[in-house]
Amino acid sequence: MAKRSIFLYLAIAVAIVWSIFPIYWFCRMAFLTPNEIRLFPQPFMPQVFEFGTFYNIFGYDYEYAAGYVSGASGQSNQIIRGVLNGLFISSIVTVITLLIVVPLAYVFARMEFRHKQKLLFAVLLAVALPPVSTLIPFYSMYVQLGLNGTRFGLIVVTLTITVPFVAWMLIGYFRNLPPIERLARIDGYSRTSCLLTLILPLAKSGIAVAAVIAFLFSWNEYTYALVLVNGTSANTLPTAISGFLGQYPEPGNLAASVIVTIIPPALFAYFLQRHVTEMSLVDPVR
Amino acid sequence: MAKIDLVKLRKTFGAYVAVEGLDLKINDGEFLIMLGPSGCGKTTTLNMIAGLEAASAGDILFDNVNVTDLPPHERNVAMVFQSSLLYPHISVRRNIETSLRHTTISDADRKRRIAEAAKMLEIEPFMDKLPGQLSGGQRQRVATAKAIVREPSVFLLDEPLSALDAALRLSLRSELVNLQKRLGTTTVFVTHDQVEAMTMGDRIAVMNSGRLEQIGTPDEIYNSPSTVFVAGFLGSPPMNLLEGDLAGGFFRRGGLAVPIQGPGGKVTLGVRPQDVTVTEATAPGALPVTVYAVEHLGRESVLIADDDRGNKVRALVAPGWHARVGEKLGIMPDPARCLLFDTNGARIYETVARAA
Repeated sequence: MAKRSIFLYLAIAVAIVWSIFPIYWFCRMAFLTPNEIRLFPQPFMPQVFEFGTFYNIFGYDYEYAAGYVSGASGQSNQIIRGVLNGLFISSIVTVITLLIVVPLAYVFARMEFRHKQKLLFAVLLAVALPPVSTLIPFYSMYVQLGLNGTRFGLIVVTLTITVPFVAWMLIGYFRNLPPIERLARIDGYSRTSCLLTLILPLAKSGIAVAAVIAFLFSWNEYTYALVLVNGTSANTLPTAISGFLGQYPEPGNLAASVIVTIIPPALFAYFLQRHVTEMSLVDPVR
Repeated sequence: MAKIDLVKLRKTFGAYVAVEGLDLKINDGEFLIMLGPSGCGKTTTLNMIAGLEAASAGDILFDNVNVTDLPPHERNVAMVFQSSLLYPHISVRRNIETSLRHTTISDADRKRRIAEAAKMLEIEPFMDKLPGQLSGGQRQRVATAKAIVREPSVFLLDEPLSALDAALRLSLRSELVNLQKRLGTTTVFVTHDQVEAMTMGDRIAVMNSGRLEQIGTPDEIYNSPSTVFVAGFLGSPPMNLLEGDLAGGFFRRGGLAVPIQGPGGKVTLGVRPQDVTVTEATAPGALPVTVYAVEHLGRESVLIADDDRGNKVRALVAPGWHARVGEKLGIMPDPARCLLFDTNGARIYETVARAA
């Protein structure tokens, strides 16, 4: 028993280090002053916490306590636009995904109809397609339609990823809900009112988690964004960050941008973790 | 209160026939049990009575009114589902309230009915809890309250006790019967548990592979089964069913010879474990068996033995009775208590037991 718990704690420790270390690494880089970052070896922790890099990536000069000024980053326009576009596109994608997927998943999970298996397979096949394989067709189609470099275009293409993936997840969740439709029919609910007034409140945990997944997929989406919107007014944060790679090195600003990128998903996950744990721990079959 | 008539009711799912040509009359105020193994069509039949499944053919009449095409809530039925299904995300009170959605009664009446049902089922202390916070027995009571608050003409119960532990099942069984007798509501109760069927029902309808095998009082079903299926399905320990030949005034199977007269040919002899005597292996006319196990039930014991064809044969013996495993013994059925079934499983009634 004691032996097992040692290994258990060891495994937990490894998992924590595995996931925390990159975050620590970026935080350290973001908070090191430009002088410290040029040292070798670099200090393990910044001596003072100053938010200079964060001012810089959002387009402001910053005067460090040591007395020198670091200028606004040349990438700041892209970063600001990336944050705004990212929030806008991800919110729209999340809403549309839920509007499509909730009824779709409900029908596939709880009703019988002809060719159901084949249709389900068609929906889920898209999960198995790597985005790269559809990149070129999408690109040439978008150029012809004039959709490249538009937020609308990116929303449409992101939906092709989020819809099948979230559907896949929600179908399983809906399947495990108790069969209250039969009860609802005895009580005289129509199918629609049963879905709206009974199933949706019952499934709010699953739907909340589905919303997080859709938001994160959209927020982090890189492959399509790089090809379709990078460098345009519709670019998103991941592509804006990749812009740092081709420039005079600004490691501090790069790290600060990465931290900005993980803030919304982290907040999202924090406030919805109750639902996430509920979804996996509470047996919905009652 | 209603009597229910099922007329040539049929239900198919694609090529699969779930219920075939079912004719059944359920009397007003009766507690009818539908009993059968899983997949026999009993739940499908119940769902058709409720209106949850559309009948493929045939009619359902409540008090001579054809309700076959009515949706469930217009039939004035109440249903308790397997594992006492409730809406998990709303309180017990609101669960019960939803039953009254389609009634046009005043608010005061509504409150009174809910309070009465809660009092009758003794669920007042947890009216504002969620179903998930209740025990299995409490949930069962809530589901029952939800059913009776509508004052339905028909109660339909689909194995409501199957998920509960044995002790609770025992107490809820009598509670349900008592409630049904007080309210006098026609009730159809589906179960695969023969003890529930025997103890609760006014009548039992035994179903097998979509067909009605027999309907009758528990006494008729137990003592006078009309098919070999009913004979084998009811009773614990189960009836001994022995295949053999009937000729010359004797039923014969190996060494066994039971003096019974009837139409000759291949038949199955059925005899309950309490209607056989255990004899010496060499006793003339007895079935030679080898002891397999002795189960002590307290008031009596059950001898389980293998006959020479590998069939298990059971006999009730006195509680102090002992036998070694592997010991050779004989089993002698009481000819007056033997039933005969033909090769199609139908009872042969024209039999006469003779003294040996």
